[in-house]
Amino acid sequence: MLDAYLSALGYMFGNPMTFVLILFSLLWGIAFGAVPGLTGIVGVALLIPFTFAFDPIEGMLLLGGVYVGATFGGAISAILFNTPGSPEAACTALDGYPMAQKGQAGKALGFALAASAIGGIVGTLALMFLTPPLAKLALTFGPSEYFALAVLGITAIASIGGGSVLKGLIAGLLGLAVATVGMDPLTGVARYTFGNMLLLTGIGFVPAIIGIFALSEVAHRYGQGMKKQEVITNVSTDLPSIREFIQTRITLLRSSFIGTVIGVLPGVGATTAAFISYSEAVRWSRNPKKFGTGTPDGIAAPECANSAAVGGSMIPLLALGIPGSATTAVMIGGLTIHGIIPGPMLVQNNADLVYSVFIGMMLANVVMLFFGLRAARYFAIILRVPYPVVGAAIVVLCVSGVFALNNNMVEVAVMLAFGAVGLLLKRVGFPVAAFIIGLVLGPIVEVSLRQGLILTDYDLWAFASRPITLTLLIISFASLLYGFWGQFRSTPPNDPPSDENAEPVRA
Amino acid sequence: MPASITARLQGTLAAAGLGIGVAIASTMPATAQTYPTRTVEVIHAFGPGGGADRFIRAIGESFQAATGRSMIPISIQGGGGLPAAVNFMQRPATGYNLYSYSPDDVINQALGRLDLSDFRPVARIQYDQALLLVAADSPYQSIEDVIEAARAAPGDIKVAVTGAAGFDDAVIGVWNAESGAELTSIPFAAAEMVSNTLGGHIDMMFEEYGIVRGLIEAEDLRPLVVFSNERLPVLPDVPTAQELGYDVTLGRWRGIAVRRDTDDAVVQQLFELLRAASETDNYRRVEEESALQYRSEILGPDEFEAFIEQELETYTSVMRQMGYAN
Repeated sequence: MLDAYLSALGYMFGNPMTFVLILFSLLWGIAFGAVPGLTGIVGVALLIPFTFAFDPIEGMLLLGGVYVGATFGGAISAILFNTPGSPEAACTALDGYPMAQKGQAGKALGFALAASAIGGIVGTLALMFLTPPLAKLALTFGPSEYFALAVLGITAIASIGGGSVLKGLIAGLLGLAVATVGMDPLTGVARYTFGNMLLLTGIGFVPAIIGIFALSEVAHRYGQGMKKQEVITNVSTDLPSIREFIQTRITLLRSSFIGTVIGVLPGVGATTAAFISYSEAVRWSRNPKKFGTGTPDGIAAPECANSAAVGGSMIPLLALGIPGSATTAVMIGGLTIHGIIPGPMLVQNNADLVYSVFIGMMLANVVMLFFGLRAARYFAIILRVPYPVVGAAIVVLCVSGVFALNNNMVEVAVMLAFGAVGLLLKRVGFPVAAFIIGLVLGPIVEVSLRQGLILTDYDLWAFASRPITLTLLIISFASLLYGFWGQFRSTPPNDPPSDENAEPVRA
Repeated sequence: MPASITARLQGTLAAAGLGIGVAIASTMPATAQTYPTRTVEVIHAFGPGGGADRFIRAIGESFQAATGRSMIPISIQGGGGLPAAVNFMQRPATGYNLYSYSPDDVINQALGRLDLSDFRPVARIQYDQALLLVAADSPYQSIEDVIEAARAAPGDIKVAVTGAAGFDDAVIGVWNAESGAELTSIPFAAAEMVSNTLGGHIDMMFEEYGIVRGLIEAEDLRPLVVFSNERLPVLPDVPTAQELGYDVTLGRWRGIAVRRDTDDAVVQQLFELLRAASETDNYRRVEEESALQYRSEILGPDEFEAFIEQELETYTSVMRQMGYAN
């Protein structure tokens, strides 16, 4: 194995262009991640034709770097403007934006970047050393395990409700309900489309997320009038200290693990990883109420997990030739065009390619950490631009970006409608996070439950009694009970508010 | 790809109400002498990097080399292909808006959701072939094992397919009717279909050869039967359903259609360009990489139309049998 790495390193040093490409692809990826609507998938797809000019190795390095960069890039706009630049960063807005609102934008970006890099490094290490066992693990996950995993994420909304378990559950169930719109994934029957064929695509969570976060925030800020626009005149670009960062170590550890494992599973990618990791961070936290108000753990958890999922999702791609995420699906197209057949023989037949990609992704993460930390503070300066200007730009980007995603005007309408929904949820104090988790995980729960039940001929016990499934379901159920118990035991009016949540800003 | 960026920008600007110039330009009719004078867009219902996307890009490369104009895929995913079809029908019939035609459209007509008389077939270019595959450690060594087991317990054997009430489902439906060895199909996303089959969660899967080639070569997946008129030269030991006595040869095909009211001369010109593009070495190479060369034979507007009529008959009766249509 060491030989293989040395040979790959030899190739890379023999072709110094590879390092330039890594740097370029990283910047390209960050830019695509940061602009709403231009996601990593688009970034990778647009670069595929350029890879014709290079060897397959350089081509793959280019695509891998974009993937790494884009996953972090989304956090920048999520933190500064509450506008997730890519779906996997939606969760980062929940705590990142409130922290930036407190004038600590530099700090928020620093947490996001460092957590991203650490998650990315852990994910890549897993890719380097644990590919065979993790690929095997991916295969042990059938519909019943997917179901249990999604249920685990959904039950965490009971803890995310912050003040009220009831409001959390209502918002979560609304999210689940909205997720059923569109074509029935198993029978192809139209559901709640009111005869509109364009709505058969369903309520995509990307348009919904952009509406709920970005558009409703712009409307909210504009609604406050001009005078309050100058709230954040004093933008601090201070980065978090090493000590502050080390305090999030347990979250980082947990999220790296969750991110890598979920990344490995085909069909669920960085977005699911971010939300489940956030849910777990809230569930195991000593101060769950701090989440949503700008706590470092709330930024570190999703950012670390979505970057770890990048390495994870390369595992089934390289070991089995099946994509772990939408972006890796596009990469498979790229490999095929180069005449490389993705599949179990890839590592044997194209060792230099595979090991160069490992090294390239590791380098991309390290580069991102060191150069990114220096650059992060300058991103924060964008906040000094008057909000009326920024707000208008955000609306334009949201509309064009959502349209560009799928060339479907109905998705723009969905985004506009969810801008109103987001505003409404905020006004009545429903946790947006719970709603989004319902929307993101709803389709997984529905499809895997139905697939699993057909497979077991509707034998519920056979479906639920598989070891991983049962364990996850028991944890979910216990945590739900614990949440209710906590609700009834505590008497909210006597809760002395701590400094951090004296003025809770629910994202 | 700068051309694709331009198309994206055009779409975006038009959506924002700024692309008035673009909109006017796209309503001007084309004539055969001048066609094509600008970029041609092909609307398809699949994701970037998927089969349809790669098909359009490959043909588009040769098309551009010959005409100097680009051909760009526009992806409108989901909803069983209907959003893409609706979007296509809203565009002017100039010959600059093409539609990537596939069996899913025929099935949508069979289900009463789409009216194919709005589409004018131009060229069928690719014709793929699918297989039933099991994991290496599956108890089923051959298709005979499956038939025997399925006849003993109809519907007990589960097969993973992609798409709900779509092409894959229809082929399994025809197989069930023809062979009496009834399989139950369960829709999965493409990647989960493979992982669930390899992981032993489901008995078998249905997929085109090119996509699972790597897994077959590594002997992780064992092909049992191929749905085609002849055995695949690369898999000489895998029987066709036809030689077992079951007439299941339906394959996924890809072609180009325009709106019915498109100028005849433009349709002819477009067909000639597409035929030339499909005969270039560059395109042939891409075709072989996806293992599509075995029965891809180009069909012109009239032959393609006749072919689709025949397909429609087949799919309509299958969809009725399966209870999806009445």
